[in-house]
Amino acid sequence: MIETLLFLPVILAVLALVMRNRTLNIIMTSAYAAVFMAVAVALYRSHAAFTPYFRVDDLNILFLLVLAAVFCGVAVFNIDYLKKNEAPAKSHALFTANLLIFIASMTGVILSTHLALMWVFIEATTLSSSYLIYFSHSDASLEATWKYLFICSIGIAIAFVGMIILSMGLNHSDSLFFDDLYAGAKNISPFWLKLSFPIMLAGFGTKVGFAPMHAWLPDAHSESPSPVSALLSGTLLNAALMGIVRVNRLMTLAGMKWYAENLLLAIGFISIFVSAVYIISIKNYKRMLAYSSIENMGIIAICLGVGGAGMFAAMLHLAAHSITKAAFFLTSGNILHRFRSKNIDDVRGLLRSDPATGWLWMLCFAGIVGIPPFPIFLSEFLAAKSMIDTGMIAQLILFLLLLTINMAGIGKAVLRMSFGAAVEAAGEPRGGLFSYLPQWVFIALLLVMGVSLPGFVEELLHKAAAML
Amino acid sequence: MIQIAIILFGLTMLYVSVTSRLESYVKAIAAQGAILFFLVLLDYGTTNPGNLIFLSFETLAVKAIAIPMFLMYVIRKNGIYREVEPSVTNYSSLAITTAIFAVGFYISYWAAGTVSNMRPFYFGISISTIVTGLFIIISRKKIITHVMGYMMMENGIFLLALSIAREMPFIVALGVLLDIFIAVYLLGLFINKVQDSYSDTHIDSLAKLKD
Repeated sequence: MIETLLFLPVILAVLALVMRNRTLNIIMTSAYAAVFMAVAVALYRSHAAFTPYFRVDDLNILFLLVLAAVFCGVAVFNIDYLKKNEAPAKSHALFTANLLIFIASMTGVILSTHLALMWVFIEATTLSSSYLIYFSHSDASLEATWKYLFICSIGIAIAFVGMIILSMGLNHSDSLFFDDLYAGAKNISPFWLKLSFPIMLAGFGTKVGFAPMHAWLPDAHSESPSPVSALLSGTLLNAALMGIVRVNRLMTLAGMKWYAENLLLAIGFISIFVSAVYIISIKNYKRMLAYSSIENMGIIAICLGVGGAGMFAAMLHLAAHSITKAAFFLTSGNILHRFRSKNIDDVRGLLRSDPATGWLWMLCFAGIVGIPPFPIFLSEFLAAKSMIDTGMIAQLILFLLLLTINMAGIGKAVLRMSFGAAVEAAGEPRGGLFSYLPQWVFIALLLVMGVSLPGFVEELLHKAAAML
Repeated sequence: MIQIAIILFGLTMLYVSVTSRLESYVKAIAAQGAILFFLVLLDYGTTNPGNLIFLSFETLAVKAIAIPMFLMYVIRKNGIYREVEPSVTNYSSLAITTAIFAVGFYISYWAAGTVSNMRPFYFGISISTIVTGLFIIISRKKIITHVMGYMMMENGIFLLALSIAREMPFIVALGVLLDIFIAVYLLGLFINKVQDSYSDTHIDSLAKLKD
């Protein structure tokens, strides 16, 4: 089953490049999304493995299901987006091929059982997503793509240095399989392990978008087409986080939990601080969502750093953020399509002129800042609770203060855009059903999660948290 | 013999930090590729001939010949020879690079006393090269110099990987994957619009997107 996820997109990508047929591109993307969802659910029911290098376990099945959900939504949205798009057939085919390979390489990152293999797939995600960011072929998107490629490639090179240094510390084995690393965690020389963790955190953290390595993130998210922004924020950041989570587990097993926790707390607080600084006076609503992604990744890092109930909170936050942010970015695509401007000041009266978009925009805002009954409220509440449990009162105050600033920044922009008199829109009229359906499904999913966390979801999250 | 080669490798970085001629950067990169080729032959110590052939081809043909020739071509075609207006002067650049090397050596010899399984000479020079490569990226202003700084950093990583090649040969082969990025950059500079809009310009032209 795993082989379907990895090989089918490659075949479809070749087909897309050879045939260059618009309708076929749309059909193939949707078909792969449907297959992906079916396989992910089947893998959830019975965990499987494919060669020693790929395996589903309790932790990565959560990441896989989140990827499946977001990808399905994006694929539905994509039907409308690609239909409307007037790019030449060649760009259209390249976009589809790269999208398919991008999803496959993220699947590879999530499922791989070998540190070096995971690193190779992270490199593949960078290469395949760069064309997606460049898709509009404007000067701004070229700049964003160049920054994305260059900064992320430095991050990937640094993560590789961390891997080499970790290998130096392996005394009795030369295997980088996570199972072997975990089994021999006590034998790894502490000097090398302590040196390699921050280097790998910085390297993989560049792709996660932790500040201060986040410079590529707002540019790439704001200049890429909205379905791609949704994928970058909802799935790519998670996939890169997988690397950190796996190495963090190694630190815990090697008895250096405190060391890793402090580093994660530090990087998490820097991230939410940086996003608060920028978000409070933001002018561009897509960049606002990008900074919010930095903030939420920072919150996940803090949850991981607090430990205890924070682990469960981290997993819940990860799932909830991906789905909320995907809905948010897709809705921002509708606004951009209608107003042809990413400037907050140009958009007014969404609720009057296009109530469906307006309400989605407001609901996504409520979801992302954690207004109950949305699940992000639950995860942030749990994070705060576990901070109290561990006696981090000063950190808790700072955490809540920074979250409030972020909330105020996003809230100011969203409310200004939603209310007021309807202004004349420069772009086209509202899109079809497919431009709205995924977001409503996402919101419904979030409300179900937030109001009554279903038993199987809770079990899924608990099992994943137990493997952190 | 190995030690001399590694010292020469370190010297290329010091040379790069004082020069402002782009052609000298290219020569330094070619020299690094050649040194890596010798090190692969002398020190790789593998029993797998396929691996050895692949790596010696990669270092000699790609790192020492193909990439430098292509860089020369791009430089001549665009008529850019100098790194103008560096953010730091050559003198302070040399001072900073020297400091990086001194700290790198100090740390690696200090660490060699406390941990086993480490070759301080390799480690010191390669870590210093990686940091100097990052420093060059930060302190220079042309896009093509950024790409060359990345190459030097990547050569440093290759050297670091070579130091554990006896235990884990596949790590060295994996490092080659970083060359894919370089290929993408060079193709970008060559084929794409980047060439017209960016290759001769400052990174200042990459500052339209900001808050």
